[in-house]
Order: sequence, then C-alpha cells, then structure tokens
Amino acid sequence: MARGRRRVLVIEDDPETAEQLVESLATNGYQVDLAVNGNDGLNRGRTCEYTVMTIDRMLPGVDGIAIIRRLREGGVTTPALIISALGEVDDRVRGLRAGGDDYLVKPFAFAELLARVEALARRSATVVKDTVLRVGDLRLDLVSRTVSRGGRDIDLLPREFQVLEYLVRNEGHVVPRAMLLQHVWDLHFDPTTNIIDVYVGRVRRKIDSQQAYPLIHTIRGIGFCIRAPD
Amino acid sequence: MRSSTLRLALICVGLFGAVVCALFGYVYWSTASYVRGRSDRAIAAEHVILRQAYDRAGRDGLVATIGQRIAEERFEGGLYLVADASFAPVAGNLKVWPTVLKGSAGWGNFDAPEWKPDAADRPLLRASFETLPEGYHLLVGQDIDDLDEFAEKIEIALSLSILLTFVLGGFTSVFVTRRTIRRIEAINATSRAIMQSGLGQRIPRQGTRDEWDQLAENLNLMLDRIEGLMGEVKQVIDNVAHDLRTPLAHMRGRLEKAYASPRHGEHDQSLIGDTMADLDSVLRMFASLMRISQIEANDRTAAFRAVNLANLAREVVELFDAAAEEKGAHLDVVADQPVLVTGDRDLLFDAVANLVDNAIKHGRDAGQVTVEVAHDKGGAVISIADDGPGIPVKESQQVFKRFYRLERSRRTPGNGLGLSLVAAVARLHGARIEMADNAPGLKFRLVFPLLAGAGLDNSVVR
Repeated sequence: MARGRRRVLVIEDDPETAEQLVESLATNGYQVDLAVNGNDGLNRGRTCEYTVMTIDRMLPGVDGIAIIRRLREGGVTTPALIISALGEVDDRVRGLRAGGDDYLVKPFAFAELLARVEALARRSATVVKDTVLRVGDLRLDLVSRTVSRGGRDIDLLPREFQVLEYLVRNEGHVVPRAMLLQHVWDLHFDPTTNIIDVYVGRVRRKIDSQQAYPLIHTIRGIGFCIRAPD
Repeated sequence: MRSSTLRLALICVGLFGAVVCALFGYVYWSTASYVRGRSDRAIAAEHVILRQAYDRAGRDGLVATIGQRIAEERFEGGLYLVADASFAPVAGNLKVWPTVLKGSAGWGNFDAPEWKPDAADRPLLRASFETLPEGYHLLVGQDIDDLDEFAEKIEIALSLSILLTFVLGGFTSVFVTRRTIRRIEAINATSRAIMQSGLGQRIPRQGTRDEWDQLAENLNLMLDRIEGLMGEVKQVIDNVAHDLRTPLAHMRGRLEKAYASPRHGEHDQSLIGDTMADLDSVLRMFASLMRISQIEANDRTAAFRAVNLANLAREVVELFDAAAEEKGAHLDVVADQPVLVTGDRDLLFDAVANLVDNAIKHGRDAGQVTVEVAHDKGGAVISIADDGPGIPVKESQQVFKRFYRLERSRRTPGNGLGLSLVAAVARLHGARIEMADNAPGLKFRLVFPLLAGAGLDNSVVR
C-alpha cells in the first residue's frame, strides 16, 4: 500500500492518549513518531519529513499553539491537527490562526481522528482534477452538477449534491458529522440535534433506494462513509 | 475613635468650627474698628475746630470756644484740656494732664480719676493732643467706654456662638454616628447570620426609603439573585447527576453482564456499539453544558461580524427540510430582504436550528412551521412559529432552564438544553426572546437590537 510509507508525528504528553494514538495510526498503515514534550516535537517537526502531525494543545514546556507558530515561521508546512481538551472551543480560532489546519476536541472517537488525519494527508498530496467522479455504478458530473446511478439520473438539490460530492471525494473513508457540517455548511460546531443524520438519510434514500447494493453507510456515533462493495 | 464615621464627623465639626471662628473674628474686628474709627474721626474734627479757634484768636479765643462748646454740649462726652508749657491746666473739663500722653502730638487712651467719679470702673477715655505754637498743650478727646462695652458684648456673643457650634456639632456627630453604626451593624449581623446558617436571612428595612433602606433593598435583591442562581446550579447538578446516572447505569450493567458471559463476536460487537452510543450522549451533554457556560461567560464576542439573518434562516430551513419531510410537516421561510445583525454566525445558526428543531419535533404531525425574518420598530426579528400544542403559560419561563422538559416531551429525544442554549445565545447578542401564542401553536421571536446604519443596506453579507 502506498500510504504505508507515510509518516505521522504525534506530539502528546499524556502516556495513555499517546499510546492509543500511536496504536490506532499504526494499525491504519502510518509510520508514527512520538514526541512527548514540546521541545522534542519542535525538533522532530523541523525535519520536515512528515505527512501530517497531531499536536496536543497543552504541553509541558512549549505550548502546542506556540509549536505550530514556530514551525510555520521556520517554513514548515506540514499539515497540523490540533488536539485540545474539552471546553476550549474558543481555542479553535486561535489554533487555526497560528497555522493549524484542523482542530479536534478531546474526548474524540479514533475513527474521527483517523478521518481528519486522512483528509489532511490527502490534501497535500492529491488535487482532483477530474470533472467526473465515480463510486461503483454512481456517477457525479461536477460540471453539469448531475448524478446518475446505473445510468438513471437522480434529482438532487444543490446542497445534497455538495454532501454527496464531499462523501465521494472521501471515498472509503469515514466522514465525521462535524467535518461534513464544516465543509458543506461552513459551520464549526457539533450540532446538538440529529439533523445531519436526517439530511444524509434523505440523500441516501435518493441514491440507494431500489438499487442492487447500498453505497452510503452510517458509522454509528461518528458519521458516514461512501464505498462500493468489494 | 474606632468608628470612621465619628472620626469623619469630628473632622467636619473641627473644620466648620474653624471657619465659624475665622468668620466671627472678622465680624468682630471690622465692627470694632468701624466704631472706633467713627469716634476717632469725631475727635479729629473737634480738634480741628479748636485749633482753628486758637489760630484765629490765640489762647483766649481757644479757652472761650472750649467753654462755649462744653456749655452747648456740641460734642457729646467731649473732653477738653488746655495746659501751659509745664502741663498745668489752664482751661477745660479735665483737671490733670494724663501722664501717658507724651510728645508734641499724637493719640492715646487713658483714664482720669475725676471723670465720672461715681462710676464703678473708671471709664476708658481717648484723646488726640498737640503742643500749640506758644508752648500750650491742647487735648481733645471723648469717653469711649460705651464703644468698648459694645465691642465687649459682640465679643461675648460671638464666643458663645462658637462654643454653641462646637457643642451642637459634637452632639450631632455622636448622634449621626450612632445611627449609622446601628444600620451598619444590622447589615453586619445579617452577613454573619448568612455565613453561619445560609442564604435565607435578609437585612431588615426601616421603611424610611432613605439611602440605607435602598442599600438594604439592593443587598437583599442581590441575595435573592444569588439564592436563585445557587438553586439553579443545584438543580443543574441534580439534573446532570440524574441524566448521567441513567446511561452510566446502562453501560455498567451491560459491561458487567458481558464480563460474566463468554465472548461472542456478534453479541460483543453490538454491546460495544450500544455502550459507545451511550457514552456519546453523555459527552454530547457535557459539550452542550460547556458551550452554554462559555457563551454565558461572554467570551465569544471577538468573533462577531455582520450576519444576514435572511440568509441564515434560508440555510437553516434548507438543512431541516429533510427532517420536516420525515414528519410530514411543511417548513417555510419568509425572508424577502437582507436583515443584518452583528453576531457569531455559528451560534446564531445553532440557536435558530434549535428553535426550528423544537418546532418540528413538538409541533403537530403534518403541521406547518414558518421561519420569518423582518425589520421591526424594535430591531431585526427572526420568528419561528408552529401550529402544535404550544407551551402552558405557567411553564413558559421554565423552559429556558437547563434540562427543563415539559411533562409530555419526556419521551421525545433531547436533553432539555436546547432552549438554554438559545437563551444564552440571545443574551450574548443582546437579543430579546418573546414567546407568543400562535393560535394554535407557539411562536418564538428573537428581537435583535438595530445595527447602526445597516437597516436599509441592501448589500448581502454572509
């Protein structure tokens, strides 16, 4: 697998969280380096050979946001995912301003962490230039904004098309609810209601009903995933 | 002197007394010098008349003039004496040249044994004198004892006033201090009682509506508010404990059962899934609570910018279209023109989304939900109306409390935090929440203060 060689830098001081992070990233094919304090993280980050790095917001020694700022000042562009303790919602803005690329609040589901790391990893690597996206027998035309499955056209509202496009662009990967809300609606909060599920549910009905196999899957507690059967 | 009020009062009395002393001193000094000055001018005028008589007609003329003036009583209380070079009296109503008057000319005060010999004290006399060209000495004066007495009376009156000022001031200070200390002591006693036995105590009022009563009233209102907040916090904690216990108990029970039974792939899978879902609901509840308290702490105003409520309403409605459809409800938006407010788009979206979600959830099946954005006299208004059963009047304020749920809503999903969030967001934006009867149904109105100069702006701002 191509992604087997991709390296992730984890900067995390809590041993248990660090172990879980390293393990779940490693089992998903990443080569993981762990830095247990700010200075170590800063030194390793400067070597520039990482695909993605995750940075804990609160670290002994150097603050997580300060690390990102200093790396960015030093010309390091490695995408950074900031991981912060619950209740520091306003930190999101500060972290992103300092040069962070995404933000995840503790406690989090590891599937969501993986999805976000994936998204950051892909962002730097590939730019999709295709005007037509395909998953199984589903076909999205990005120019005419039309969708068809098995040759039959499906009517989608513009926003439904955006939802489907985002899922398809992340084919095979879990898309957490919050990421969907962020990219399709430009909203930065966890909805207190189950509205995203209902919305995606309607998209799914339009795409998957009366078809040979389902494409859109709900990943309980996390989000959604579009994939064709093997 | 431990009381600062008494100290202050005494300082005031001291200052006031000093000013009174200075003022009375000045009055005394100016009155006395005016009266004396008048007497001196009269003596000087008489002196001039006699000197002119001497210059005109010599010694005899002078003696004659003196005799005439005494006889005619032209100068009341006047004293005259003409003496020769060896100060032996020649004419006049004084018998002896006063020894204190020395030199060739000048003024002087003296007394004379022969002047009013029957008076108890020798009266004070004042005179001007000069040595005439031929060696004679002329003395012209007046009995100024009356003036002296007058000045003395003023002196006594003023001194008494000053004394009275100090005495009255002292008494008033003590009285005011005692009164003040009594009121302060009442507040102190209540504070101590509160520290000892809880927030139930209130500061007694005298019913005088003075500033002390106002202070007591304000402190009491503050205590009421604190008591209310404490009650609310306790309620929240109780509710958190209750709402936490249910999913935690489920999780524990499930895990305990699984621990005792042999591993079974499919069964374990669903058990772990259920447990994660329960954990998620607990975490979501915490996140909501944190969010509300953060919004209430007012530390998000930095992210404020112009938000077009019309666009926002359309986006919320679009998002909830699917949810409404699922319930067979109609969800409409009426937003013809841009309506701008200053705010945090994420928070406003979340608040409006919560209201729309409530309207769909608690409204009638296959009902009608309308979101309307408009300008009003009072400001920008976004209203969310349904045609469901509404909220009973007596519960209309309760619904904004954390975890509050109407009895009939116990079974619908939710944690009772939605409207608390709406209330917190509204407060952060300075907006007013109004709940009205939509006959039938419920209408929520969020009224935002007018954005300066943006009311008629047609530019669309996201």
